[in-house]
Amino acid sequence: MIAENTQTQMRKGILEYCILSIISRGEIYASDIIGELKKAQLLVVEGTLYPLLTRLKNNGLLSYTWKESSSGPPRKYYQITDEGRAVLSRLDVTWKELVFAVETSLQGRND
Amino acid sequence: MNRTIIININSIVFHIEEDAYDTLRSYMIDIKKHFGNTAESKEILEDIENRIAEMFNERIQTGRKEVINLDDVQQVIEQMGRVSDFEESEGTTLEEDVGHEQRTGQAPHVEYVGKKLMRDPDDKMLGGVCSGLAHYFGIEPIWIRILLVLFFLLGGSGVLAYIILWIVMPIAETRADKMAMRGEEPNLQNFKKSFDEETKSFSETFSGTGERIGRGARTAGNLLSGCFGLIGKMIAWIMLIFAGLNLLGLFIVYVFNMMNFFGLENPIFFPPLKVLSTNEGVIALTFGFLAIAIPFFALFFWLTRILFKTDKLNSYLSLTMFAAWIVSIVGIVYYCIAASQDFREKSTINVQKSIQPQEIYYFTEKDIRVLDASEQDSLKSKFNIQLDGQDLRNYLHRDISIYFENIDSLSQPYIQYSYSAKGKTYQLASERAHNIVYEAIQEDKTLLFPSHFLLKKNALDRDQQVTVTVYLPQGAKVVLQQEIEHKIRDISYWECRNNYPNENQQKYTEWTMTNAGLRCAQPPKPKEEEEEKEIVESEKKDSVIRIDGSNVTIEVKDNNVKINTKKEES
Repeated sequence: MIAENTQTQMRKGILEYCILSIISRGEIYASDIIGELKKAQLLVVEGTLYPLLTRLKNNGLLSYTWKESSSGPPRKYYQITDEGRAVLSRLDVTWKELVFAVETSLQGRND
Repeated sequence: MNRTIIININSIVFHIEEDAYDTLRSYMIDIKKHFGNTAESKEILEDIENRIAEMFNERIQTGRKEVINLDDVQQVIEQMGRVSDFEESEGTTLEEDVGHEQRTGQAPHVEYVGKKLMRDPDDKMLGGVCSGLAHYFGIEPIWIRILLVLFFLLGGSGVLAYIILWIVMPIAETRADKMAMRGEEPNLQNFKKSFDEETKSFSETFSGTGERIGRGARTAGNLLSGCFGLIGKMIAWIMLIFAGLNLLGLFIVYVFNMMNFFGLENPIFFPPLKVLSTNEGVIALTFGFLAIAIPFFALFFWLTRILFKTDKLNSYLSLTMFAAWIVSIVGIVYYCIAASQDFREKSTINVQKSIQPQEIYYFTEKDIRVLDASEQDSLKSKFNIQLDGQDLRNYLHRDISIYFENIDSLSQPYIQYSYSAKGKTYQLASERAHNIVYEAIQEDKTLLFPSHFLLKKNALDRDQQVTVTVYLPQGAKVVLQQEIEHKIRDISYWECRNNYPNENQQKYTEWTMTNAGLRCAQPPKPKEEEEEKEIVESEKKDSVIRIDGSNVTIEVKDNNVKINTKKEES
């Protein structure tokens, strides 16, 4: 149980970081984000993404615009805000620290 | 061949097969429940719906495949993820080790979250109410049925409850409804499981016999009029009139009782309400009215539905009514308990008042409800206006007992008054006892006892009693007037009166105080009674009296007197 919990917590933080990174590359549609995340094997089901996107948007890290689609309903295209960029650069630093921390710890274990 | 339903997701129209719709609907309900009802969740749901619409759109190929089927829906759901998957990624369930069915956060009452109170058309004796309740409480339907029969035997209340529930509880028609009813709803695994089971066995039977039964249950009227025909209709009419008259009567009683509380006094008054203050009384009366009237109303409405085939009552309205009914029953129980609490402690206050010694004392009652022009006592002024008919019952109490005790022949006679009342606490009770106003008036040899006593400050009815003990020196003579007889305890006025020669005209009895209490001064009548007895006995015997010479016989037999005359034919 604790293992699962830890796994979930780890994934959760990383998932948000990845979403921000993906969006930072340019305007993108939700299902494309899903495609990327699936490719990265971070996401299993699509439904999980929407709450995350909404939360990031409500925190001012993302914004979106409606765009007509050739097949089907209009789509929401997400883009990163300046604030989002600031957060992302901070997260980049944190990630590097984390990688360092984890690698160091793992090395210590393997010795 | 399959029936399709047209749905609209985000302004795009889809044709969807019925079973696929059920699955989709329950999935959406599931998701809605999961995300709660905040502004944020609205947006999330919109996004999800949008995405579903898009995915459906991808699956539709004009000309070849224009209908969304169960397979599509299941694939879309698979792709979108179930509630349990969401939970996993959010890490909410993990603190609780119960599993996926249990949701946290917005829904703390996990057990019944998915359960809905619905009638079960698959397992029913009459309307499926019992099995619906059983599903809801997670027990075997047989227990509910036994309970219902018990309630039916205890005054028939079960029938009313059943009818109300029949009206209030919606029938579980779709598969999603049934799952909600059984409380299996929360995640999709369950749904799929149930669906797989059902597609195997249930769908064939359901479309056949099940459908027919379901339809029959939908309108109870068909059932009743079908079975009983004309007789059933007549019974329904009689019951309808009965219920209607009852409602009318209840309403009249309610309105007039209310008028009593608001100062418009009238003879229709429900006595137990007297123990409550005006505010409480108004609420208690309303509760009582609702508790009785709602079942009658339900019966009335049900019958009109049968007889006139009118529409079902709005489910919100009927649910409100049912809730009001439960609340009023609880309210009545509360008031009963609260009122009885106010009778817990008893307090008695004793007051002694001496009376002037006389050789002979006349005891009589003064009916204070009758205005006496020559009266000068203070009691009179208190009644000036209210002394008129039924008014008085709110202010007058008549629980008065009079006892006689002897004291030394040289002592001063006196009267001891014991005022008692009840209350929640001893202090309250004694306060109430203090509010009792009652005292006898001595006019020379006559002691006047008022017929009723009063409560100061218009106090509530709390079992107030007055006990009067008259202490008279031995040897004192007492005359008891007949008016006061019903207040006298311990001694028998009537036994003494029987000693008088013309007891029916005797308006008073004379007594003497002895060391063993009051004794009847009139010695018992001698013998008379025995003679009477003999007569009675002789009457009972059948006898034939012959009167010789004139050929006439008088026959007495079984209280009949027969006179036979034989005329000599010569």
